[in-house]
Amino acid sequence: MVPVLTQLLHAALSSATPIALAAFGGMFSFHANVFNIAMEGMMLMGAYYAVYGAYRFGHWAYGVLFALLSGLVLAMIFSLFAIVLKVDEFITGIGINMLALGWTTYSLRATFKVKGAFISQAIPPVPKLRLFLIEKIPFLGEVLSLHPFPVFVAMILAFVFHLVLYRTTFGLRLRAAGEEPVAVASVGLSVRLLKFWSAVLCGILSSFAGVYLSLGYVTLFSENMSNGRGWISLAIIILVRGKPVPIMLMSIVFGILENLGLLLQRYAVPPQFTAMLPYIATLFVLYSYARRSSST
Amino acid sequence: MNTVRSVLQTAVAISLAFLVAALFILLQRSSPFEVYRALYEYGLGSWFSFTNTLNASFPLILTGLSASIAFSSGVVNLGQHGQFLWGALVAAVAGVYLKMPGWFGTAFLAVLGGLVGAGWAALAAFFKRKYRMDEFISTLMLNFLAEYTTLYLATYPFLDPKAYVPSTRMIRREYFLASFFDVNLAFFVAVFMVFLSWWFLWKTWRGYEARMMGYNKLFATVGGCDVETDTSLILILTGFLSGLGGALLILGGTQHRFMKGIGANFGWDGVMIAIMAQNSVVQTLFYALFIGFLKNGAVGMEFETSVPSEFVMFLQAIIVLTLVGARSGFASLSDWLRARSELRRLMK
Repeated sequence: MVPVLTQLLHAALSSATPIALAAFGGMFSFHANVFNIAMEGMMLMGAYYAVYGAYRFGHWAYGVLFALLSGLVLAMIFSLFAIVLKVDEFITGIGINMLALGWTTYSLRATFKVKGAFISQAIPPVPKLRLFLIEKIPFLGEVLSLHPFPVFVAMILAFVFHLVLYRTTFGLRLRAAGEEPVAVASVGLSVRLLKFWSAVLCGILSSFAGVYLSLGYVTLFSENMSNGRGWISLAIIILVRGKPVPIMLMSIVFGILENLGLLLQRYAVPPQFTAMLPYIATLFVLYSYARRSSST
Repeated sequence: MNTVRSVLQTAVAISLAFLVAALFILLQRSSPFEVYRALYEYGLGSWFSFTNTLNASFPLILTGLSASIAFSSGVVNLGQHGQFLWGALVAAVAGVYLKMPGWFGTAFLAVLGGLVGAGWAALAAFFKRKYRMDEFISTLMLNFLAEYTTLYLATYPFLDPKAYVPSTRMIRREYFLASFFDVNLAFFVAVFMVFLSWWFLWKTWRGYEARMMGYNKLFATVGGCDVETDTSLILILTGFLSGLGGALLILGGTQHRFMKGIGANFGWDGVMIAIMAQNSVVQTLFYALFIGFLKNGAVGMEFETSVPSEFVMFLQAIIVLTLVGARSGFASLSDWLRARSELRRLMK
């Protein structure tokens, strides 16, 4: 039983990472009171450009670079529409998601001459890290060690972002811009600039989540491979009201569920049903959130 | 005056979008002129292309209508995809196994598909009413559940063993929707639903309540609307429209069976159409035809030039963003100009 459990937790951390990273991105928007739902598209774009950069230039670092740049570009587009032109944020988000889906599907066909998915031995994945010392601890070592490095980045970021949000001037200003924009403006700070930074952070983090999807979790790019993870991360943000450490924990819960599904497949449960678990869990998350907010 | 201005704005925005897209075509070392010519020729150029465009647009009209009515009532139904799939699957399966006289059978299957779509949306309505769960995320999640469940049903219980991809068997031939001068009857049904929806929104008191709810929920409540019931009703109604779209795709499309990926992007296309149409029912018809034209023309574009048909997905997103951006930009520009002239007047 124990090897199954360690395997499950190991895999859960792995599946939790893209959701958590995207949720961190959306979290900054959440605190700046920007209704940013573009994580899905930013993640997809990041996943595509990670494969593109890594494949073209033969090193995963180029993948990361290209992906982050693509996230930045989408963040700029988001800001141009939502902040400068004052288009409804929800509509902008949907537009960005469609743009990412259309562009990646098209580029996949135009650049790699394939439909559906691009798989190649020549895509270098991001390296897996061994943790010396921790590796020696039974159970914990097996769960924690030998992950692609973004997994550790996500876990560290949970604590770093807690400090950023609640212990730095930037965090304070960002949250103030969300809660009381007039007060922020009255001391001479630009609310729009703060919102812009939140969009940039969202773009970078979500596209980094995409890097993990296409160069860590698996090593390929397939059409629409983000597959709703951006929406799940949004549900998590709303549920925990944008707190970084609980975001990480909730993401791990989702990771466990996703892999529980894979485990069930061994017992001849059709894959179509096990694949539904994260979405059912999201509905349940929504239910418990609604319960809690109506009781308080 | 306002109509003229908004038509002009739209024309400018769409031209702008085509210009932006032309840059990307140039980057691909293709000629934008050739690409757009192929797009036009295969989308509108002949009677054949024109009727094909009409036939490509009926699912879009219905999902677009579904999104428009929902959004204009302040109900964020993003579940068109799932409702559409359920409508398509149930119509396809019932069309294989149920024996009915031809005409009645077709009508029955279409309504059945609609009702199943409505039922799927009713789930979100139930969640909303009973547990106060936001329909925005619940309808999205239900999309994924619908996607996997319908795929399961087409892959195992109702699989046609002779098919190459997971799909059900072809429906009985007598249920195929007929064409009228090459235009499938499904198109006329879709257009009829546009008129019906217009009548509902503007001529019935429920529709009035729905619109008031869209302007301001609080106002609607204070004014005596039963907002909760109205919300559920709109969800179910718009679910019916999406489901009907799915059923009509089976009855009047080209496949006449449910297969993996048949829902394509109709759900999100509908949402984008509603956004472009600013939730107006009549404009929805126009933009659905426009998107149908792009999709239909894309096939020819791929055939004639080296640009793959997927380019149209990107073009579509650019058009949506440019359109909403331009509208919003024009509005803030005119606000700014008015403010400036007001200021000048005061300074004097």
